Amino acid sequence: MKRRLAVAIGVPALLLAATACGAGESSSTADGKEKITLILGQAGEPFYISMDCGAKQAAKDLKVDLDTQGPTAFDATLQNPIIDTVVQKKPGAILIAPNDDKASVNPLKAAQDKGIKTILVDTIVGDESIGLSRISSDNEAGGVAAAQELAKQIGDKGSVLFIGTKPGVSSVDARQRGFEKEIKNHSGIKLLPAQFSNNELAKANQVVTDTLTANKDLAGIFAANLTTADGAAAGLKSTGKQGQVKIVGFDAGPQQVKQLTDGSVQALVVQKPYDMGYKGVEFALKAIKGETVEKQVATDFVVATKENVSTPEISKYLYKESC
Amino acid sequence: MSAVQPVLEARGLTKTYGHVQALRGADFSVNPGEIVALIGDNGAGKSTLVKMLSGAIQPDGGEILVDGTPVHLPTPIAARAHGIETVYQDLALALDLTPAANLYLGRELTVGGPIGRFFGFLDNKKMREEARKSFSSLGSIVQSVDVPVRSLSGGQLQSVAVGRSAAWANRVVFMDEPTAALGVVQTAKVLELIRNVAAKGIAVVLISHNMPQVLEVADRVEVLRLGRRTAKFKADETDVEQLVAALTGAFTNEPVTVGEEQAR
Amino acid sequence: MTGQTPAGTDEAPAKKPHDDIAVITPDPALAAVERVADEAVEPVPSALQRLVRSSSIWTAGVLALFIIVFSILMPTSFASADNATTILSNASILLVLAVGMTFVIITSGIDLSVGAVLVLSAVVAGQQMAKVGESGTAVVVTALVVAVAVGLFVGAVNGVLVAYAKVPPLIVTLGMLGIALGTARILTKGIDVRTSAMENIDTPQGAVFGIRLIVLIALGVLIVGGVLLHLTRFGRYTYAIGSNAEAARRSGVNVQLHLVKIYALSGLLAGFAGFLSLAKFGTSGLSGHESDSLGAIAAVVLGGTSLFGGIGTIVGTLIGVFIPAILANGFVLLDIQAYWQQVAVGVVLVAAVWFDQYKRRSRNRS
Repeated sequence: MKRRLAVAIGVPALLLAATACGAGESSSTADGKEKITLILGQAGEPFYISMDCGAKQAAKDLKVDLDTQGPTAFDATLQNPIIDTVVQKKPGAILIAPNDDKASVNPLKAAQDKGIKTILVDTIVGDESIGLSRISSDNEAGGVAAAQELAKQIGDKGSVLFIGTKPGVSSVDARQRGFEKEIKNHSGIKLLPAQFSNNELAKANQVVTDTLTANKDLAGIFAANLTTADGAAAGLKSTGKQGQVKIVGFDAGPQQVKQLTDGSVQALVVQKPYDMGYKGVEFALKAIKGETVEKQVATDFVVATKENVSTPEISKYLYKESC
Repeated sequence: MSAVQPVLEARGLTKTYGHVQALRGADFSVNPGEIVALIGDNGAGKSTLVKMLSGAIQPDGGEILVDGTPVHLPTPIAARAHGIETVYQDLALALDLTPAANLYLGRELTVGGPIGRFFGFLDNKKMREEARKSFSSLGSIVQSVDVPVRSLSGGQLQSVAVGRSAAWANRVVFMDEPTAALGVVQTAKVLELIRNVAAKGIAVVLISHNMPQVLEVADRVEVLRLGRRTAKFKADETDVEQLVAALTGAFTNEPVTVGEEQAR
Repeated sequence: MTGQTPAGTDEAPAKKPHDDIAVITPDPALAAVERVADEAVEPVPSALQRLVRSSSIWTAGVLALFIIVFSILMPTSFASADNATTILSNASILLVLAVGMTFVIITSGIDLSVGAVLVLSAVVAGQQMAKVGESGTAVVVTALVVAVAVGLFVGAVNGVLVAYAKVPPLIVTLGMLGIALGTARILTKGIDVRTSAMENIDTPQGAVFGIRLIVLIALGVLIVGGVLLHLTRFGRYTYAIGSNAEAARRSGVNVQLHLVKIYALSGLLAGFAGFLSLAKFGTSGLSGHESDSLGAIAAVVLGGTSLFGGIGTIVGTLIGVFIPAILANGFVLLDIQAYWQQVAVGVVLVAAVWFDQYKRRSRNRS
C-alpha cells in the first residue's frame, strides 16, 4: 500500500520534474515551416471536413505545417481541453471554430496571452478581443437568401418555421436574424416561433413532426445547419409531407445533396467552408509574420437546387466526406 | 443423574414447508463445554434444526431455551447476542479481507474515542493484535492475520472460521460439516481446535456424516430422523454400527408416540 | 479415516481416542513439519509479492512508460509545468467521478449513470443559480448545494433499486442514465445552461500555491475518499460486501442499507463533478459527457479494482485516471486524432482486465 502510494505520488512528480527539460521552444519546426493548428467545431462533420480540406490545400500551397484536431461532439466541455493541450504545443497560430461564444473564451485568451495568434472561423465568441480575424459566412445574408428562396418555393404564403441548433452559436443566430428580417417583407407568410435542434438529428426530426401536428398550415421550413436539415428532412419524410412542405436547408453535405436530388429538400444554402479553411491558413501565416489581417471577412454562398446541383459551378462547393 | 443445566435446549420444535414437515417435534440439548454431534441422514432435518437454534429461521411450534430460559431468536444476530455462533459449511468468510478483518466483521474496534466511533475509524493495529492472541489461544496456526484470507490454505481457512466463532461465542458454536473438504492433516488440526474451544467452556455442536470422526471427537451424539430425535448416545458407550442403526431407524432409545411407531 | 477405534473395543480409554492420530501442539518439530506440508499447498505471499502481483503496479508501469515516451518525443511541450497543469486540470473531473465509482465497483456493482447525473446536476444547479444572481458567494453556494443534492438524490434512488428491489446495477444505472440525461434535456429544451460565476476554479488567478483550485479540490475528494475507503468501517463493509455479501450479512452488516449509501455516494460525487464542470467550463455540457461513465469505469479498473468486487484502492484509481488523461494530452500534442485515443484507452483497458483475470485464475483455489 505504501509503495503504491509512493508510485502514485511519483507520477505527477515525474510530470512536473520533467519541466527541467523544458527550454523555450520556437513556434516553428526544424525545417523552418510555421506551425498552425486547426481546431474544428466537430470532428467528422462534412462541413468541417471541407474546411479542413481547404486548410490543407493552403498549407500545401504556402508551405505551412498544419495539423487538425476536433472534439467528438460540438460541445465546449470537449473542445476546451483540446484547446488547452494545443496551446502546449505552442503553434504559431490557432484556427478555430469555437463551440460556445462564452465558454470558449478563457482557453483562447490563454492562447493569445502566450503569443499564439488566433483566427476564428465559422463561429465566433462574444469577447471582441479574441481573434485577430473572424472568417465566416455572412450568415445574416445567408438567412436572407434562405428566406427569399423559401418564399419562392411556397408561393409567398403559409407558415414558416426556423430551426436553429442552439442559441449562442453565433453563425446560426445570424442566420435566424437574416431569415426573420426578410420574412417580414413577405406579408403573406406567417413566422412561427423559432425552434432548436441542439445539433442533433433526432431532435430536429421531432421538432418537425411536433410542429406539423400543431400547425396544419406549415408550408416551409428553414433548417439552419447541416445536421438540423438532415433531421428535418427525415421528419418530413416520416410524416409523408416531403415535397408538400418545402425545406430550405443550410449546408450541403452528402446526405443533404441526396435529399436535394430525391426531393425531400427543395434548396440548400451552401457555405464555402473550403474557402474559410483556405483563407484561415493564409491569414494565420500573415499574422505569424506580423502582417495585419482584415478583422472581419465574410465568405459568400451559393443556393443549390435540384436543377443546378450537378453543374460544375455549384457542385464544387458541395461538402466532402474526405479530402 | 446430571444436574447440569443444558446451555441450549430445543423442545418439540416443529416446522412445515408446504407439504413437507421438516421437523415434527424435534428435541435437542447441549451442556456447557460439551461437544455434541448431531447426526442424521439427508432430509432428517439437521440443517433446519441448526438454523433454528442459530436464529436463521423461525420454528412453527415448540420452544428454545438458553440456560433454562425460553428465548426467541428472530435473527442470527439475536442468537449471537445470546452467545451462540455458527460456522457455516461455506465458512462465510470474506476472502479478500484479512483474518483479523473477518474476525471483527460487524464488530469492528474503533480508534479515536467517541468521535472515532462516530466516523468509524478502524483500530487495525489493535484488531490485528487481538486476532493474533485469539487465534493462538485456540492453538490454531494461522500464519498471518494480515494477508487476505484467500491466500491461506484450506485448513487455515477453517481455522479462521472456527476461530472467529469461538472468539465471540460464550455459549455454543454450531459447526456444519467442518472437515468435509479437508485432508488428513488439516482435519486433525480442526478437531484439535474444536477440543480447545470446548475446553474453554464453550459448547460445540457438530453436524457430521462422518461416524468415526464423530465418535473420535464428540462427548455425546444425538440422532435425528424424520424431524425428531430418535436416539441419544454417549460417544464412548457406542460404536459406528449402532449409530448407523439409529440413523436408519432400526434402533431408537428415545420415547416415541404410538402414531410414530406406526408411521415407521 | 485414521484414528478409528476398532469396533467393539469398549475398553477404549475414558478420554478421547485421539492419541492414535497426529497431534499438533505438543510437538513443535512435528508442528513445523505439518506447517511445511500445509505451506506446500500455498505459501503465504509476502507484502512485496502481493504488490508485484497487483494490477495497479502494472498500470503504474504502463503510465510511467507513456510519460517517458511522450517526454522524449516532446520534451518542451509535453514535459512542461504548464502541460502538467493542463493534464491535471482536465483530469480533475474524471477523478472525482472515479472516486465514487471505486466504491461501487468494489461492491461488485457498477454505475453507468454518473456522466448523465453530472449533466443533470450541472443543469439544475445552473438554472437555480441564475435565479439567485449573476455572481457572488450566494450564487456559488447555491450551485454547489443544488448540484450535490441532485446527485445524492439520484444516487440514492439507484441504491434503493439495487439493494431493495434487487434489480441488477447494470440495468438500474443504465436506465437512470437515460432518465437523467433526458430530464436534463427537457429542463433545458436541449440548450446548454451557461454561467460565468465560478471561473476562478480553473484560472491562475484562483490558484493556491500555484496549483489550480479545481485540481486541489479533486485531490481533496481523493483524500477524503481514500480515508473513507481504507480507514473506516464504511470502507471495510464496502470490501466485505464485494468479497462475500452473504458473509457480511451474517456478520450483522446491514448490506442493503450500505449499498444504498454506496450508490448515493457515487451520485453525490457525480453531482459534485457537475458543479465542478459547470464552474470550469461555464456550460452544462449536454453533449459533452457521454463517455464519462465508461471513462470512470476504465480508470477504476485500470487502477487495479476488480469488477468482481472485494479488491481495489483509491491510489490505484488515481493511477488509473492518469492513463486516459495522459493519452488524451499526448495524442493531441502528437497530432493524432481523438478517435485513436479512444482505441488506445480501450486496448489498455482490455489488456489490464485480461491480466487481472489471468492472475485470478492462476491463483484461484475453489
